[in-house]
Amino acid sequence: MSKVVEISPTTRHEGHSKLVLKVNDEGIIERGDWISITPVRGLEKLCIGKTMHQAPKISSRVCGICPIAHTLAGIGAMEASIGCEIPQDAYLLRLILQCANKLHSIALHDILALPDMYIPGTETKINPFTAEEPVRTVAKRIQRLREIGQTIGEIAGGEPVHPSNPRVGGMYYNISPQAKQKLFDLAKEALPMAIAQMDFMNAVFKNFEKRETVTVGKTTVDMPKEFGYHNQGYMAVDSIFQSSSLDFDPKWDPNRWTDVTPWDWYMGECEVSLEDPDYPIGGTSKIGTKAWPQMQACTSIPLYDGQPVEVGPRARMVTFKNFDHKGAMGQNIAREMEYPDCLYTIIDALDALDCNGSVLADEIPQGDGSLGWNANEAPRGTDVHLAKVKDGRVQMYNLLVPTTWNFPTCSRALEGAPWQLAEVIVRAYDPCVSCATHMLVVDENKKIIAQKLVQ
Amino acid sequence: MDMLGKYKTCVAARSTSSEILKSSQDGGIVTQMFIYALEEGIIDGAIVAGPGDEPWKPKPMVATTPEEILAARGTRYNISPNMAVIKESVRKYGLDKVGIVGTPCQMQALRKAQLYPVGMRYVTDKIALAMGIFCMENFSYQSMKQIVEDHCNVDLHSLKKTDIGKGKYWAYTNRGAVSQIPLKVTHKYEQPGCHVCLDYVANMGDISTGSVGSPDGWSTVFVRSTNGDNIWKKAVEAGVFEVKAIDSVKPGLDLVTKLATEKITKNQKELEHRAKMGVNKGLRNPYI
Ligand SMILES: Cc1cc2nc3c(=O)[nH]c(=O)nc-3n(C[C@H](O)[C@H](O)[C@H](O)COP(=O)(O)OP(=O)(O)OC[C@H]3O[C@@H](n4cnc5c(N)ncnc54)[C@H](O)[C@@H]3O)c2cc1C
Ligand code: SF4
Repeated sequence: MSKVVEISPTTRHEGHSKLVLKVNDEGIIERGDWISITPVRGLEKLCIGKTMHQAPKISSRVCGICPIAHTLAGIGAMEASIGCEIPQDAYLLRLILQCANKLHSIALHDILALPDMYIPGTETKINPFTAEEPVRTVAKRIQRLREIGQTIGEIAGGEPVHPSNPRVGGMYYNISPQAKQKLFDLAKEALPMAIAQMDFMNAVFKNFEKRETVTVGKTTVDMPKEFGYHNQGYMAVDSIFQSSSLDFDPKWDPNRWTDVTPWDWYMGECEVSLEDPDYPIGGTSKIGTKAWPQMQACTSIPLYDGQPVEVGPRARMVTFKNFDHKGAMGQNIAREMEYPDCLYTIIDALDALDCNGSVLADEIPQGDGSLGWNANEAPRGTDVHLAKVKDGRVQMYNLLVPTTWNFPTCSRALEGAPWQLAEVIVRAYDPCVSCATHMLVVDENKKIIAQKLVQ
Repeated sequence: MDMLGKYKTCVAARSTSSEILKSSQDGGIVTQMFIYALEEGIIDGAIVAGPGDEPWKPKPMVATTPEEILAARGTRYNISPNMAVIKESVRKYGLDKVGIVGTPCQMQALRKAQLYPVGMRYVTDKIALAMGIFCMENFSYQSMKQIVEDHCNVDLHSLKKTDIGKGKYWAYTNRGAVSQIPLKVTHKYEQPGCHVCLDYVANMGDISTGSVGSPDGWSTVFVRSTNGDNIWKKAVEAGVFEVKAIDSVKPGLDLVTKLATEKITKNQKELEHRAKMGVNKGLRNPYI
């Protein structure tokens, strides 16, 4: 007889979500629903009628961890709609900003992921806040990597959180030679640290994957062989940056995308029948609690070729670098492997950057209502923004953000794992639930069939 | 009320560089200090009122070379929103140690940002040297134009220097002519915001300087903070300033105190007046 257990809220990721899990007598997940319960903020709706300059600045506020992705995808979508090509040096500054943000985001996720893990060869779980070695050195390294990521973003992008420098048509300013040198020095400093950090994290993740058992709270569970595996596909448009409908050879196709409502995808009404007051910290939901994922989920379900897909570092690695490590730890390892790329790209872009180059297009068309899109490879995966701009105003704006793509995929990946480890699988997706929550649902003909607005 | 603010020392001083003194307003304290600090690595750039698009219209700029600092010498008697580029200085220019010059209200803005950094992320820990300049009142660009062109009868393009002193507004031209008008003519052109200002000698600067109190070509200097004191001592030791005790010069601190008291008392009255401006209601008082 299967039982239902609910973890609400989930922790150590961005935003507000919960897990509703149907488990068998051994506590193994038969069907899992991971859903957003972050209130819908309705940004796509409220951007309609606003200027093309303002809308991306609003969508930046969707999330403070990856605002770069939303700013750049938003501006990129506006530029794609109006048909505006930006100068090379603006492109390079955006690329630097993109990589700087990814650097900080990976480092931040390290802090969130580490407490699930063990110091290799020991039974000691890692507490990133401990003053003891070897963890202290790692924690300090993470902080410095984040600091460097944010500082590079601050200089190239104007602000590390909600970048002010990007604008429709390019950037507001280029940087001085002195600032360029500072960025170069910082990237040089970070490179060996990032490589050391990657090596450390990957040793930790591989160690976890090889364990026989894992302890969560007071319970010890067996580590499944195929931890976090799923059979969904992958979607990625670039190994680092972006693709847009302005490209000669666009890497994403709006015709392959459809949405379904949570109603079509998630479980119906159910009642919690299993409870563990020792689940750290504060226990699971009480027996008798009603859960209704179909109704409670605050995201739409985007499909590519009719299927949920995985997006993120592994999807990029699989698509562009023949990566083949599956499961939750494969996802974590792929993310770590992006560390050096961020810094090599920043260094190359700085080499190419001309501090005296113009960073604003000579002409910025006002748009005729054509559809344009930009897909940004955000830290957590493909962030597609679609827009129609006419006379400088937004007529349509739609966001398909990484964690929205990952919600249904990750739900499938929960199957076969002990429910106590469900959150470890979720965290491997580095979820950003605020990002994921803002809902419009469209059918095959891109007609809006459902929307949920701020109550 | 404390009219001159807190300070460690007060002296009369001027730069020992004749090059700087050639076009500085008074003793060239601000320009000399920034160039010295830049060369010593105390700052890696300074926010100054640089030349603008129109004659005598200042434009805040981030100067990173002695040439740029020199180009900003002299007082422009109209508003230069120096704080507006403070973020730019640490972003686009990538500065780590920022110098900034400003009127008392701008020093207040700076200190407020340091204590309450609303929208000022990663800015305020990079302030390395704040140079305050004395200020009785300021004008809009239109006002200055009116005063110089209509009242002093001088074309702004020929203007070499303006100065307020001895109860008069002075305009000197490139070709050697001098005009002066009584200050009371200029009162109606003052920017109204200055009428609630309770700081004359830039109480919040690390170092503050002005002309009043010292002879022509010299400046009155208050060294206020520990940071300002360290830098000032080093600069004097390096021989970039000529220094005299303030009580050895005329008219000295008495005049500074007198003018400060006049400004503060007058503006305090204005604040009280504004509090009772309407019938049973008043205007906002930013100090409470
Ligand atoms: C609006 C105003 C009112 C003043 N009122 C008085 C007064 O009542 N009594 C008094 O003793 N002194 C007053 N001063 C100060 C005085 O005019 C000189 O600025 C000061 O003595 C510095 O001279 P210096 O030779 O050391 O500086 P300099 O080496 O000539 O450098 C002056 C610096 O001030 C900056 N600056 C110029 N104009 C402005 C502006 N509008 N806003 C901000 N920064 C500016 C320049 O960029 C330059 O860096 C006033 C200055 C201003 C701007
Ligand atoms: S009088 Fe006060 S408010 Fe006006 S410019 Fe001078 S310092 Fe600023």
